[in-house]
Amino acid sequence: MPNPLQDEAKQSPYEKILQDCLRSELRIVNTGLPQSQKRQSKENKLFYLLNEKYPHVVCNDGSTHFFKKSELEYLASMIDIDEQKALLLPMLIELGANQAEAAIICEGKLEEKLISKALNMPVTCEERRIRIYKPQLALLRRKFKTTTVYVFSPKIVA
Amino acid sequence: MPELIKVRPTKIELVKLKRRLSLSQRVQKIIKDRLSILTMEFLQTARDTAEAKRNLLDEFSKLYKALSVAAGYHGYIALEKELIATEADLKITAGSRNIAGVRIPSFELMGNPDKVGMKGYNLVDTSSWLDRAAQLSEESLRAIVELAELQRNFELLAMEIHRTKRITNALEYIVIPGLQVTINYLNMKFEERDREEKVRLKRVKVLVAQG
Repeated sequence: MPNPLQDEAKQSPYEKILQDCLRSELRIVNTGLPQSQKRQSKENKLFYLLNEKYPHVVCNDGSTHFFKKSELEYLASMIDIDEQKALLLPMLIELGANQAEAAIICEGKLEEKLISKALNMPVTCEERRIRIYKPQLALLRRKFKTTTVYVFSPKIVA
Repeated sequence: MPELIKVRPTKIELVKLKRRLSLSQRVQKIIKDRLSILTMEFLQTARDTAEAKRNLLDEFSKLYKALSVAAGYHGYIALEKELIATEADLKITAGSRNIAGVRIPSFELMGNPDKVGMKGYNLVDTSSWLDRAAQLSEESLRAIVELAELQRNFELLAMEIHRTKRITNALEYIVIPGLQVTINYLNMKFEERDREEKVRLKRVKVLVAQG
């Protein structure tokens, strides 16, 4: 076994690379989040996205997140125009400490209505979160591929 | 057995190592979550790709049959003459999206499936067989675009899973055990120093009492 007492104090290049790698991992998990998810901004709302030629939002890292028109139209078919004007996209799916479940971050009843229609089962919104299990998450992601985004919760990241 | 990290046995180094351990454990948690999500997406993409491939082959098979019937009805020369004028530029929207830190492409054929204007031939001189072939060709194009997207996503997700697995394994079997072993070693070293110090003091006390 090597004796640390006799070794140099400086970090090996391998260790440095590893530390950089770990830090970059922390950075990249949430780079795909939209830059603005404010209620006042029009650019992220379904109604306005539907009228765009290339519907997209700008992400944290400056890249763009593209929405499929067919998916937006499918979403629009499930709700009326007033609700379309209120629905923020992309919908955020939060992954927390519990690996078995995920939570959809929502502002109110609108997301609740959409999710329950998409999953074909009743869901409830508690503390601005709709909790769903992994099989339902897979089903939801299958239906809303571009209109949902994963968020790694600050509780884990911090 | 995990290797000791080469550090000086000081309290500062111990604090640094503890910080590094906590960072590594946090990152491991995130990476494991990410890996489970990527795996779920990968399996879903694999299923979708297989389905899209089957769908495309079905579409091609139907299209070939429809074209054969149309060619039989109109004759090859007449059909070619009609189809020369039907060439149209395809418009595909290409963008990208992000799945848990992986940027993957997203393609969409522009235009409504019912309204894609590919029928540039004369509707009066041609039969419904050709209409059917044209409709099936549009569906085949849509299936090709869908398969292209899924297949690329499949590859990118597989590469990312491979990379993430390597990081998880490195953390689980090398980095974290190495840090834990080194922290334990340093703790033992400090305890040993304390014991030595106590014995030394006792010995000094005895010598002072004797003197």
